[in-house]
Amino acid sequence: MIERNRKVQLSVIIPVGARHSDLAELFAEYRAGLEPLLMTHEFIFVLDGPHPDVLRQLEPLIDAGNLILVCLNRRFGESTALMAGFERASGDLILTLPAYHQVEGGQIGKLVAALDGADVAVGWRWPRAGGVLERLRRRAFHGMVRMVTGMRLHDLGCGARALKRSVLEELSLYGDRHRLLAILADRQGFKVAEIELSQSRLDRFEGVYLPGDYAHLILDVFTVFFLVRFTKKPLRFFGTLGATMFGAGGLIILYLVADRLLFGQSLSDRPALLLAALVVVLGLQLFALGLLAELIIFTHAQHLKDYRTAEIIQYPPQPAAPRTTRDPALERVVLR
Amino acid sequence: MRTDTTNTNSTGAAVPKVSVIVPFYNEEESIEPLHAAVVAGLEPLNITFEMVFVDDGSKDSTAARARAIAERDPRVRFVRFRRNYGQTAAMAAGIDHAIGEILVTMDGDLQNDPADIAQFLQKIDSGYDIVVGWRFQRQDKLVSRKIPSRIANWLIGKVTGIPIRDNGCSLKAFRGSVIKRIPLYSDMHRFIPAMASIAGPRIAEVKVRHHARRFGNSKYGLSRIYKVLLDLLVIKTIASFAARPLMWFSLLALPLLLTGTSLLGYSLVRALLDGATPSLPLAGSGLILLASAFILFCSGAIGELIYDLGDSREHQYATLTQRLRTRAPNTEAQAR
Repeated sequence: MIERNRKVQLSVIIPVGARHSDLAELFAEYRAGLEPLLMTHEFIFVLDGPHPDVLRQLEPLIDAGNLILVCLNRRFGESTALMAGFERASGDLILTLPAYHQVEGGQIGKLVAALDGADVAVGWRWPRAGGVLERLRRRAFHGMVRMVTGMRLHDLGCGARALKRSVLEELSLYGDRHRLLAILADRQGFKVAEIELSQSRLDRFEGVYLPGDYAHLILDVFTVFFLVRFTKKPLRFFGTLGATMFGAGGLIILYLVADRLLFGQSLSDRPALLLAALVVVLGLQLFALGLLAELIIFTHAQHLKDYRTAEIIQYPPQPAAPRTTRDPALERVVLR
Repeated sequence: MRTDTTNTNSTGAAVPKVSVIVPFYNEEESIEPLHAAVVAGLEPLNITFEMVFVDDGSKDSTAARARAIAERDPRVRFVRFRRNYGQTAAMAAGIDHAIGEILVTMDGDLQNDPADIAQFLQKIDSGYDIVVGWRFQRQDKLVSRKIPSRIANWLIGKVTGIPIRDNGCSLKAFRGSVIKRIPLYSDMHRFIPAMASIAGPRIAEVKVRHHARRFGNSKYGLSRIYKVLLDLLVIKTIASFAARPLMWFSLLALPLLLTGTSLLGYSLVRALLDGATPSLPLAGSGLILLASAFILFCSGAIGELIYDLGDSREHQYATLTQRLRTRAPNTEAQAR
């Protein structure tokens, strides 16, 4: 799977999507930024879909620098690209960087340095340019995230993140989950730090946010909400919602029936009956969905461990450690 | 997956008779007295035992003290969580990491008396699979603790069909081979016996002493009743219907089907007799109910699919507590 003839200390993964700057220039900037760290490092560019121009630009550099190009045959999305890059990475520390000017290249060393005290360090572009509306949007989004998770984060959209190898080994990133990396890592019990980085002068967003972008943000918040609160107890969510609706519908029906019995108001010409039936049924359906979700959890409960251990002390130290003591190095040996 | 159900570990080392599992969360004052009390309670019994201390991400010095004890006393196994995951996870971790034949769980706050453990072991040896404690002289406030708990216990007994007088008592003993295969997740530590009922265990109750809290603060409150109710519902449905989801959903769909049919039928008959168009609210409500019944039915089919793809069938819960009676004169007739 992974050939590791040379091991480096730091692997830099750069997923290249539709939006990217001049990568040769960016590569040079990032490389200069890593210089003061005095770490052996490698760069892994993951081309998410065909990018012939990038390929032409970077291919000559392969021999010069410690550079790997991973070319995905079609566009899979940033999370998948990150994981594909991670498959190739040999460093114990991983740094993911955006493929366009987002943060000052000279600042990325700060992120890696922060891993001394944390497992994950995510960038926070600060001070940050942007109009009032954009700032408001950002503030509202992160406020909601904070309400749900209790984490004080400011810039989930920043693509500059440093993390220890073990973090990515435990997380499964897919879809849009790379943006939620800090939250997912926190849930696994990793220590997360947010590091202020000065925003690149070239990181300008010209354009208007479309309704689709807002929908994206709302979906992100909802994902986080569900992940944090209800992953292992879906009926608490669906059940509450369903029971509320069922109750509301029941009340309407009670009222209609009372009206019919006491005042002779005929049921057959009251549209409210339709509404009541609809709400009751919806409530019941939600409840049923919750039960299905519980069934899914139950039938997989033996694999879904709720906890992550930090250390285990036992005598005698047993070779056949319980499943939950995750030693990544050990696991890889077993896999081969 | 848990495979160590045979009560022998891979090293062939002696398996202790008893594992005492204690989850701790911010109990720095209690941990040392508790260790001493367990040792004092079990040493006179002349049996081999171990202790599993699980630190659920405490913020105080609990972890440091537990580690010190584990380094000093080889009978203590110490598992530390990366962060706080809750009591169910702590219990589950304790059960996963314990290797004894009999697993005893107790609270880390010194409210249980380890001297009582002897009675529990006797009960297990006499053939019971689960033994639960009953704090018959409970040292807690009447109105805020005792009365709600009385109501909750009555309700849990009614719903699950396992009439235990004191579900809240953490002092319990389990036959290791049974409990290690029971899935524990979400907030189920209060309902371990109810959850275990999927395997049909023999359950006994013993009276235990109960001490008032000496250190720290209680971490329970009244506010959890609503969550408890939903959890109860989950356990009930899972314990009785997990293997028959189609039936489970058909039961939900039945009232809808009946009401829907009668509403629709009534409005059609009326329309035919009166020669008028059917009343929209009545016929419409009937249709909605019928459609919903149909969707519920389909959900049941999906439930069957989920169960079929899940791993529950492999676990063969019935075999955990079965006893074999055969004519063969070998000694394995009493297989557990």
